[in-house]
Amino acid sequence: MIPNTSETLATFSLPAGLTYPVQIPAGVTLQTASGQLYKVNVPVVVTQAPAGQLPESKPTHKVTERREAAAPQSAVIPPNATHPQEAEPPSVPATAVTQPPHPKPTLPPGQESSLPQQPPVPAAEPSQPQGARSPEPEVTLEENEPSPRPEPVSLRMTASPCSQMLDFQICTEEALTHTAQLKNRDIDDILKEVIEEEREKAERARNQMPAKTDNQSEAVLGLDLDYNYSELSDIVQLDGPAGDSDIEEEEGVPLEENDFLGIINAEAIKALQEGDGSSDGNSISSTSDSEGADELANVEEEDPLNSGDDVIEQDIPDLFDTDNVIVCQYDKIHRSKNRWKFHLKDGVMCYGGRDYVFSKAVGEAEW
Amino acid sequence: MDSSNDEALDIIITNVVATFRTRCHLNLRTIALEGTNVIYKPEVGKVLMKLRKPKITASIWSSGKIICTGATSEDDAKLGARRLARLLQKLGFKVRFSAFKVVNVLAVCSMPFAIHLIDFTKNNRPIASYEPELHPAATYRIKHIKATIQVFSTGSITVTGPNVQNVATAVEQVYPLLFECQKPRYK
Repeated sequence: MIPNTSETLATFSLPAGLTYPVQIPAGVTLQTASGQLYKVNVPVVVTQAPAGQLPESKPTHKVTERREAAAPQSAVIPPNATHPQEAEPPSVPATAVTQPPHPKPTLPPGQESSLPQQPPVPAAEPSQPQGARSPEPEVTLEENEPSPRPEPVSLRMTASPCSQMLDFQICTEEALTHTAQLKNRDIDDILKEVIEEEREKAERARNQMPAKTDNQSEAVLGLDLDYNYSELSDIVQLDGPAGDSDIEEEEGVPLEENDFLGIINAEAIKALQEGDGSSDGNSISSTSDSEGADELANVEEEDPLNSGDDVIEQDIPDLFDTDNVIVCQYDKIHRSKNRWKFHLKDGVMCYGGRDYVFSKAVGEAEW
Repeated sequence: MDSSNDEALDIIITNVVATFRTRCHLNLRTIALEGTNVIYKPEVGKVLMKLRKPKITASIWSSGKIICTGATSEDDAKLGARRLARLLQKLGFKVRFSAFKVVNVLAVCSMPFAIHLIDFTKNNRPIASYEPELHPAATYRIKHIKATIQVFSTGSITVTGPNVQNVATAVEQVYPLLFECQKPRYK
C-alpha cells in the first residue's frame, strides 16, 4: 500500500498483484487506475473485475454524489442528507455505468456478487444513522441488477455534483463507445433498471413516509423528504406582514426589497399600484391631491386619519416639474444634516434649455 | 415648584422621538421611487423620509413601524407623524395611524452658575456617576421617573426622559442639588 496524500485524505493505491477481494475500511479515498477518486465513508469490499483491462489515464475526478445521479432515491445512498460529498460504494454499483475496468477498487462488481453477505459495510459512520442501512439498499439494488457489469466501462465523471444525471448519461454514452468488451445492452438495461427502481422507491417513500420498516431505502427517502419539508418550514421569514397587512403587498416585497434602486421594474410597480389600492390610482400622481383625499379616508380604531382634515398635504410637488434635469452616474453622494454634496460622473444635463455633457461633476446643495 | 429658583429656567426641548405603526406592510421600493424627499437605505432595510414642516426625519421600515425624530415638541411630533402617515397613504398603502408613542424627549437647560462636578458626584453617590476620562459630564439618573441628566461643569445640563413632563420634573429635582455644588465663576 502506498499512501498517497493527495488531498486531506489518505489515499491508497492497490498494487496490481493484490489478491481480491480486498476489504477497505471506511473513510478511505480510493483511486482507480483511470484516476478517478472514490471517497467512501463506509467500509468497502474491492474485488477484481472479471475482465481486467488496462486503466486509462484520466484526470482525476472526485466522485461526489452518485446518489444524485441515482435520482432522489437513496436506497443505495444512505446519507443523502448528511454527507453530500460521499460516494458510497453501493451507489457505484447502483449506477452501474461507473465501473472502472481495472483491478483497482472496482466496488460494484465484486459487491454485486457478494451482496447478500454485504460485507464490511455495516455501520460505517456513527454520524450516519444509515450506516446499518447501507448494506440493505445495496442488496435491494443489486437484486435488480443481476447482470454483471461490464468491467471495462470507464467512468468519465465531471466534477460538478449538480449535474449528476447528466454525468450519468454521459457515462452511459461513453460506456457505450468504450472498448469492445462492453455489452452495450447490458449497460442500458442496468441503467433503466436503476432508474425505475429509484423512481419506485421515491414513490414508495413518499407514500409511506419514514417508517422504520425493513425497507431501508424508504426510511432513508423519507428522511430525505422530511429534511426537505422541515427545512422549508424552518426558513425564517425576516420580512412580512404584521398581521393585518395586505397580501398583495406581501408578494411584491420579497421580490423587490433587495433590488438596486437603479433597477426599475416598471411592471412590478404597476402591479403594486394596482394591488395596493385600486382607489389610489389617481393619488399616485402628485397633482391630484384633493381627489385622493376622499377615497383614502381610513377609519381606524385608535385614530382615524381624517385625510385632509388635520393633516395638510405636502407642499410643492412642482419641484419635479422643472425642466432642468441631470441624468448621470454617481461616484459619491454625501449628506450632513441638510447639506448635500454630489460627486457625479458621465452625465447629460439639460439646464436652461441647453444640453451639457460632462464626465465629472461636483455639486453642493441645501435641502 | 418649591425647588425652582426665582428666575425661570429655560428648558429648551431640542428633540422628540416618537414611533407609530401603520398596521400594514410597506413596500420600501415603492416609497423610495415615488415618494418625495426620501433616502433609501437598502443595506439597512429602511427609508428615511424628511419633512420640511415640521422638521422631522422619519425612518420607515417595511414592517410598518415608523420612527419620527427631530421634532421640537410632543404635539409637533404627533402632527408630523400624522402627515407622514398621510403621505404614505397617498402613495397607495392602506395606512392606519396606530400606536403613536413618544419614546424620548431631549432637552437642554442652562444654569446661571457653574458646577463643581466632583463635589456634586460625591454628594450624590451612587445616583450620580462621573468619569472625566470618558465623558466630561456627570451623569445623574433619576430612576423613578426614568430620566437621565448630564451635568456639565459650565452649568449646562441635558435631560432625556420619556416625555416632556418627566423632563421638567427632573430639572426641578436636580436643581437644588446643583445649586449646592455650584462653583463660583470667577477664577
